[in-house]
Amino acid sequence: MKNLIYSILFVLGIFMVLPVSAQDNLSPDRKQAVDSLALEKVRDLSKYITIIGSKGTPWSEANRVIDRAEELFMQGSEIGVSSLLRPKIAYYGVRQYFERLMRLNYNKVEIEWYKIDYVSDLQRQPDGTFVGVITVFQKFKGYDKEGRLIYQDTTKKDITVYVKRKETQIGGRLIGFWDVLLGDIRVKETSK
Amino acid sequence: MSKKFLTRFPQFLLVVFVVSITMGGLSSCKSNKKLARDKAAAAYAAKVQQAKTDLTAMLNGTTQWTLDEQLKRLDVIKSYNIDDQEVKDLIVKVENKLDAAKAETARKAEEKRLREAEAAKKQAEQARFANIDRNLENIARSNSYDEANQKIAAALRLFATPDVPVLIIISQAEGFNDYDRPTTASKFLNYLKDQKAYRYRVESVKKDENGKITELELLKK
Repeated sequence: MKNLIYSILFVLGIFMVLPVSAQDNLSPDRKQAVDSLALEKVRDLSKYITIIGSKGTPWSEANRVIDRAEELFMQGSEIGVSSLLRPKIAYYGVRQYFERLMRLNYNKVEIEWYKIDYVSDLQRQPDGTFVGVITVFQKFKGYDKEGRLIYQDTTKKDITVYVKRKETQIGGRLIGFWDVLLGDIRVKETSK
Repeated sequence: MSKKFLTRFPQFLLVVFVVSITMGGLSSCKSNKKLARDKAAAAYAAKVQQAKTDLTAMLNGTTQWTLDEQLKRLDVIKSYNIDDQEVKDLIVKVENKLDAAKAETARKAEEKRLREAEAAKKQAEQARFANIDRNLENIARSNSYDEANQKIAAALRLFATPDVPVLIIISQAEGFNDYDRPTTASKFLNYLKDQKAYRYRVESVKKDENGKITELELLKK
């Protein structure tokens, strides 16, 4: 009886491991496509931050973009905010961060993200999720009513990305997709 | 010597001469036949040797002949009905090899035909989808929110509902599609407005009985 239970557990174990092993064998072409997809999500976020931060963006559009931007993140993620004017880095929930960004006390805001690249490649975790870290540099410029630059800084940020293979039924078809979610955005350095 | 012998001597000489000629002719005929037999045997041996050489070359793939030429040569060799075990064995092996090669050639030709048919179908479909691609690209190229929103409203009329699923293929490696997280028509059109870039092409479209899109599949370029 004991042997039978062990055998059943062994077979079940094999079935549980098989799908995970299949993901292990991701071909270089497919892995590259997944890597690019995760990078693209960060670039999408960069564009959303620029739109939300811009004072020229209509309020309704900014709110719509906040919704889209929020969908990029894993629930409970935090975004770090630094300033040259204070030593402490403040962390906010995603929605709160975007709402604060929309209401920044400048007449004009320019936010540019550049050098977006992996600092740690996507690595498969025991639960099948691929986890990696992407670094970005953010150039922030705030102008007053007279168009004078009153604050600027450059921040290096690390974004944790989670990629998981999921399936969904669409039109009677089973679609296998890669779900990319961003995690915390940590401030690494802030300089003028 | 008697006179009788001397008178019959010329007759005797004639008989000796005739017998000699007859005997000589018979011997010469016999040697000609042997020569012909030897010649035929040598020709047959050469034919067998050539058959072995050709069959071995075909078996080892060292011949320059095309598959058709090899099949013809094999037929000729088979028509000789050579009674030699080595040749018979080689014929069986070469026959198997050429049959397999023939099947492989036929398979490749069929694959090529299917590929070309698929490419032609894809090209025809892409031409059919050019209008959708243009609509989506125009949204991304808009210069203002108002302009983009007008184009989005127009484009949404192509869809059955704003919630029609939009599937984005990120990779077609290994013969199957990998997708990004599925989105909706409305969200995707607004995404194009925000990102100001259209880096896709329509891969497939499903429509309802009113000709409205019920599913859009895009391929990331």
